[in-house]
Amino acid sequence: MTSAAAKPPVLQLDAIVSGYDGLEVLKGISLTVRAGEFVTVVGPNGHGKSTLLKTISGLVPLRGGQISIDGQRLSGKPHETAMLGVAHVPQGDMLFAQMSVLENLLMGAYLAPDKAEIKRRLDEVYTLLPKLADRRDQVASSLSGGERRMAGIGRGLMMGGRILLIDEPSLGLAPLIIDQVYGVIAELSKAGRTILLVEENPARVEDLADRLHLLDDGAIVWSGKPAELMARDELLATYLGG
Amino acid sequence: MTDVLMAILVAGFTSGALYALATVGLSLVWGSMGMLNMAHAAMLTLGGYVAFTVITSLGLPIAIGFAGAILVGAAAGAILYFAIVRNLLKNDKSTFEANVMIATVGIGIALENAILLTYGGQPLKQPVSITGAFRLGPLTLPWQNLLIIAVVVVMMVVVSLALGRTRMGRAIRATAQNRDAAQLMGVAVNRVYLQVLMLSGALAGICGVMVSSMTQLSPPLGNDPMLKAFIMCVVAGLGNLPGAVAAALGLALLESFVQYALGARWGFPSLLFVVIAVLIWRPSGLFGRAEIRRM
Repeated sequence: MTSAAAKPPVLQLDAIVSGYDGLEVLKGISLTVRAGEFVTVVGPNGHGKSTLLKTISGLVPLRGGQISIDGQRLSGKPHETAMLGVAHVPQGDMLFAQMSVLENLLMGAYLAPDKAEIKRRLDEVYTLLPKLADRRDQVASSLSGGERRMAGIGRGLMMGGRILLIDEPSLGLAPLIIDQVYGVIAELSKAGRTILLVEENPARVEDLADRLHLLDDGAIVWSGKPAELMARDELLATYLGG
Repeated sequence: MTDVLMAILVAGFTSGALYALATVGLSLVWGSMGMLNMAHAAMLTLGGYVAFTVITSLGLPIAIGFAGAILVGAAAGAILYFAIVRNLLKNDKSTFEANVMIATVGIGIALENAILLTYGGQPLKQPVSITGAFRLGPLTLPWQNLLIIAVVVVMMVVVSLALGRTRMGRAIRATAQNRDAAQLMGVAVNRVYLQVLMLSGALAGICGVMVSSMTQLSPPLGNDPMLKAFIMCVVAGLGNLPGAVAAALGLALLESFVQYALGARWGFPSLLFVVIAVLIWRPSGLFGRAEIRRM
């Protein structure tokens, strides 16, 4: 944490406002993620966690404030955001259902500069997620829930981005599979990846995240270390239902 | 009897090949953009007239005529994108499908009338034709039919390789399957839409040359293949390319058999009967998914 604080910010959000049609979901969120940091945003369902990540990656238009990657202001266009190194692993995986696992991974490397780099990233992903190598020729729609989640993370890693945005990786999975998915995320964090993860259950990231922000009704209401939040029963009860 | 059967098969496969070419262009645009391009017929006609002009008026070789039809078709697709589609995409996405259909009806009518004003309404003979036939024992296979089948097979292989093996093709398929996810991977979907319309226009162009080589050039040339291509798209399931090819061949063979058995006037109604049956019992098409992702 101390060493991370000295590093330059990779992602910076300054008072961002966004939403859908007439509905304002995010109401002036500011946060910073530094190189190598693991930052988590927790909050109840429907309070803007996924919208936060979608706004960063450009899927939801920004209405106010600004978002920067390595000091460069984002245009709000998703493909240009990806070019600047934002790798978004969305909720529900959003795999290309009719493509094989390998083709999904190759789509992750769509912006890779050359074939050698694609092969390097593919080897890295297969080493971290060996099951994807076994399933490489299998069509994505036939994967199990856990395999789909792993394929989504693998595709995000294939992007070789500066920061990985991960949206509720535990959603809809059995407890054993959730442990496996978080085991992979822990390895990525140990390897120095910069991660911004949103999650409903703070206990999942208690031992992983460097910092945690509590989101309620589109605004950050508390920030600190995960262990500090877990010790604050009144906060857990008020915002996360205990 | 063998002679008759072979004649029906040759006619059916030739029509099927032409329908497949028209259907794939239409289906490609629908599958990746959720856009029913009603100007596809006019783009097909345009290709036929471009080849005619290049070969007859300019006196250039037939191969240049083909290339001209492909290039002008692709250019027409690009113009359609920049003039219409790009602007409609900026509006409310929920109205895109209806708006683009109406807009392309207008473009199609305008293009057909521009061709009518330029070339007149008299039918013209497309110089891309080969006389004679290949004989194998009792079988007679006209060279013209074989040329059409060969050209269509080559085009299908090219399209299949382009979609399956290239980075551009992967981006097109990814955009068709999940537009948002494709954007997250760095795909500029507007560029993909441009590429799809150009590819579809090129296919329409070459299809126009082939269709007119079997009949004659006239301003409404593309209407019949477009109507049948639409039927085949619906039977296959809109946006399903391999299904579109299979449906085109199957329905063309059915049409040929019905025309032989019941008379030429029953060919088209037999296709309509099939499409009505499919819409009743399998509304998403024979090869279609229950849900098709649109804009």
